[in-house]
Amino acid sequence: MLLSAAVVTGCASDAELDTFAPQGPIARELHSRGVLPVFWIAAVVFVGITIAMVWLIWKNRVKNYDGDDEWPAQTHGHVPLEVGWTVGFLVTMVAVAGIMLWSLPTVDATEDNTMVVTVDDHSVSWEPTVVVVGNQWWWEFRYYFSDQVDLAALRAHGDAKTLPPADIVTSGQMVIPTGEEVELILTSRDVIHSFWIPALNGKRDAVPNRFSPWKIEASDPGFYFGQCTEFCGLSHSRMRMQAVALSPADFQAWVDSTSADAVEPTDPEALAGLEVFSGICTSCHLIEGVNDDVYEGADQASGAAPNLTHFASRSTFAGGILNTYNADGSLNRTDLEAWLRDPNALKENYTVPGEQYRGMPDLDLSEQQIDDLVAYLSGLGAKPAGWIIEATQVE
Amino acid sequence: MAIVEKTPLELGPGDSVRYAERPLGVFTRPQGGRGWRDWLSTVDHKRIGILYGVSAMFFFLVGGVEALLIRLQLAAPEGSVLSADVYNQVYTMHGVTMVFLFIMPLAAAFANYFIPLQIGARDVAFPRLNALSFWIWLSGAIFLNTSWMVGGGGADCGWFCYSTNSGVAFSPSHGVDFYAIGLQILGIASLVSSVNLIVTCLNMRAPGMTLMRMPVLTWMLLITQFLLLFALPVITVALFLLMFDRLFDAQFFNPDAGADPLLWQHLFWIFGHPEVYIIILPAFGVVSEVIPTFSRKPLFGYEFMVFSGIAIGFMGWGVWTHHMFVSGIGPISVAAFSLSTMFIAVPTGVKVLNWLATMWGGKLRFTVAMKFAVATVAMFTIGGLSGVTHSVAPADTQQTDTYYIVAHFHYVIFGGGVLGLFAGLYFWWPKVWGHFLNERLGNWHFWIMLVGFNLTFGPMHILGLQGMSRRIDTYARGYGFEFWNMAATVGSLLIAVAVAIFLWNVVKSKRDAPHLPPPGPDPWDGRTLEWSIPSPVPVHNFDTVPQVHGRDEWWHTKYAENDEGKVVRVATVEEAAQTGEATGVHLPSPSFWPLAVAIGLPLIGYGLIFNLWLALIGALLTIASLYSWALEPVDDPDAAHDHHEEDHQEAQEADNDGDEQ
Repeated sequence: MLLSAAVVTGCASDAELDTFAPQGPIARELHSRGVLPVFWIAAVVFVGITIAMVWLIWKNRVKNYDGDDEWPAQTHGHVPLEVGWTVGFLVTMVAVAGIMLWSLPTVDATEDNTMVVTVDDHSVSWEPTVVVVGNQWWWEFRYYFSDQVDLAALRAHGDAKTLPPADIVTSGQMVIPTGEEVELILTSRDVIHSFWIPALNGKRDAVPNRFSPWKIEASDPGFYFGQCTEFCGLSHSRMRMQAVALSPADFQAWVDSTSADAVEPTDPEALAGLEVFSGICTSCHLIEGVNDDVYEGADQASGAAPNLTHFASRSTFAGGILNTYNADGSLNRTDLEAWLRDPNALKENYTVPGEQYRGMPDLDLSEQQIDDLVAYLSGLGAKPAGWIIEATQVE
Repeated sequence: MAIVEKTPLELGPGDSVRYAERPLGVFTRPQGGRGWRDWLSTVDHKRIGILYGVSAMFFFLVGGVEALLIRLQLAAPEGSVLSADVYNQVYTMHGVTMVFLFIMPLAAAFANYFIPLQIGARDVAFPRLNALSFWIWLSGAIFLNTSWMVGGGGADCGWFCYSTNSGVAFSPSHGVDFYAIGLQILGIASLVSSVNLIVTCLNMRAPGMTLMRMPVLTWMLLITQFLLLFALPVITVALFLLMFDRLFDAQFFNPDAGADPLLWQHLFWIFGHPEVYIIILPAFGVVSEVIPTFSRKPLFGYEFMVFSGIAIGFMGWGVWTHHMFVSGIGPISVAAFSLSTMFIAVPTGVKVLNWLATMWGGKLRFTVAMKFAVATVAMFTIGGLSGVTHSVAPADTQQTDTYYIVAHFHYVIFGGGVLGLFAGLYFWWPKVWGHFLNERLGNWHFWIMLVGFNLTFGPMHILGLQGMSRRIDTYARGYGFEFWNMAATVGSLLIAVAVAIFLWNVVKSKRDAPHLPPPGPDPWDGRTLEWSIPSPVPVHNFDTVPQVHGRDEWWHTKYAENDEGKVVRVATVEEAAQTGEATGVHLPSPSFWPLAVAIGLPLIGYGLIFNLWLALIGALLTIASLYSWALEPVDDPDAAHDHHEEDHQEAQEADNDGDEQ
């Protein structure tokens, strides 16, 4: 069973979350040092025991039992044999323990790598770090270039609901440079979530009141899927995320465009959308350059909602479950409008009036308002590269 | 201390139902009879075992329906059978039901019924406490499930119910309140039962039955009771804190007030991991009885089987953090618990090889019970080995919280635990009911269940390694999950068919029984004391308390080895078995008070949730019942024993020692 499982998953080509298809050095080492050796040991023991059992059954079974048969030799035990297989299992487990101790550093040790990033015309030496914050039911990613944070500082700060201002705050999709080990600092604003991009590393929980270190690394530019893996309530199944790995040059370009404030639209429909946004959406969402002066957090249990400043630069929305663009590169109006019309139809949210909201409520928008909002939101940020939009299409 | 009795005893004139006046109680003292009311007041360990078994099978069907709903929802991507909200309740209640309302009480059924029989005792140490355990368990089980009707739905936090998701803000219905209080009630039941059975094993063994002569089933059940005794207080503390958080605004698990959500995880898994062994060890015990009997050989390495069971019980306390490898507890803890987890595989592996060695050179007779027992070993081996693969903590970061884990623990709990207990049902059915289960239907049951089980849970290994998360109510198209999910759903329907066949077998076997030869005391050529008495077991179990000379006492009564090492028969079953015809055996008197105490507890539960006045009424009922119980004599002085003043006195003293409830 284990063996066939290994074979089948190894061959599956369309499994976007396949744990047997590592795409970066950490995941590759974890796979070859940790996963495969112990699978082989388990497979050998399994085959051995199964053969022994089948042979014993085949050899010793009595077909037509008719009452008082002959009795076989009554062996009660054999101490050397018992000691022998106890030691045998011990030795096997010592080998498994060796595998564990050998592979543990691959997921836990961190290296001091730095890269140069230019932000607001200043070059900074950045140790690639992303603060990852879980919320019901979406992920926030915070990038600190100007005032860099580390694990110790955040632990001293302690509160995930009042994190220091970051240069870039995005959600659903984490953008990372290729060839760099990226340290993740995981926390949560409400319940426990778990961050997992199987192609790049295993998972680690995001726990309220805790800041936990983790790391990922992608060898090549690519689009890597993930799914929240700690049960986090109502819409746990619809809390997804992706890592977008860009070459260092593309990453710098992404930093340039994404660290800027939103630009005021010129198109009248989009202007009307901005009007709608300012009246309704600002009670939860932040767009830098629009409502950062007055924004005091979201009216949500987590106290946060996705930052929409560069909404259109992300190929997914609504907690990583819906595509912003169609395969041909055009805007996915259908899902955008459906989401604004009735979010609960696409993802169950808890929005009982009078209680603390968890997720996006039905805002009772008119069709005109929806059209205006779509026009406005689709102009926020630079459209992602064609290959990213293509990679986003799962079906 | 064994019950001291003079034999033969005569049954006094109190045999017919006669109601004595009770100056202190509301109830007249029940005196035993054959009506349904007698089941409410019974203190007979066999009847209590049957009550546990029947109720457990009922909740097996409830949990099974929940499982089928899960599989129907997940059969295809974007399933719409259940909403996310209902799915979360159903999968939570599936886990809670199967663990607390099916496997644990089914194991309790075996423990209640067979521990006294295997150690040659007339009953458990505290018969009324035994009744109390069952009624509290049943009231807790009913209480838990009424949350569907009156609590706004079942708990929706998973059976593990992690903080902070279990807080009112994140789970606003009363489901989690019912979970927190219901499991506390169930915990009282298991705790009472564990104390009772431990005392029974340690104090009530027949003369000559040393601990190292105890049948392995009794040994494994004894270890299980010790695990329960120490594990349940831990979960009770956690549930108590959770209850206060939710109902009275305490702040134990509120991170905004500085709480660490991992506190709950530690408390839960310090209970939760031993719980795994609480589930699996009774099945190990069953397998250790069935395989030797149908291999016509003694269990290979009895001492090693017993001590590996004890080792598993001990080591089970040192591995809980392997449920938390990815929670961010730091590499030192992860490495330490990863190591301890690996080494628990050693005693487990020793057990598997000893079962195989028992079959080595044996004459294997594949009755349905034997098929289930051997399948238990095979399926458990798969579950154990997949467990080894994610005991390697770094590898676990890819596997935990995926369907790989769902596959793993179902191979352990279903493949090991449930198949093992089915082996026990087919094996001991004639002992309990006086007729066999139909072997032909049993074969259909076995093969369909084995295929269905592997078709359901085998593909989950693949799904997990393909990255399918656990506890998701749906999955998107295109992730490669479609085919194997459909296969798993088909498999789950096969399991449902197999269970239906089993239920039909129960009915048909009973119906056919009058036309078939009765099984007699010893239908399988058994080895332990329960096969030396008639089937079904007479109310007093043993006419005379047996004198034990060695392991497998009953087998050695029938057979001996001659000088050449050949087995020769020294007595036929007819010669050696007890007839069950003894009269006048002193038995504990029935009581309604255990039931009355148990009825008070869910009232306290509803009261805490809805209205504290109701809790007061429940508390008064429970306390008043406990007092009435305390004032009720252990034995009804008006009943049954007036002919034998001497015996009566003596037995009274013996019971008073043991039955100060």
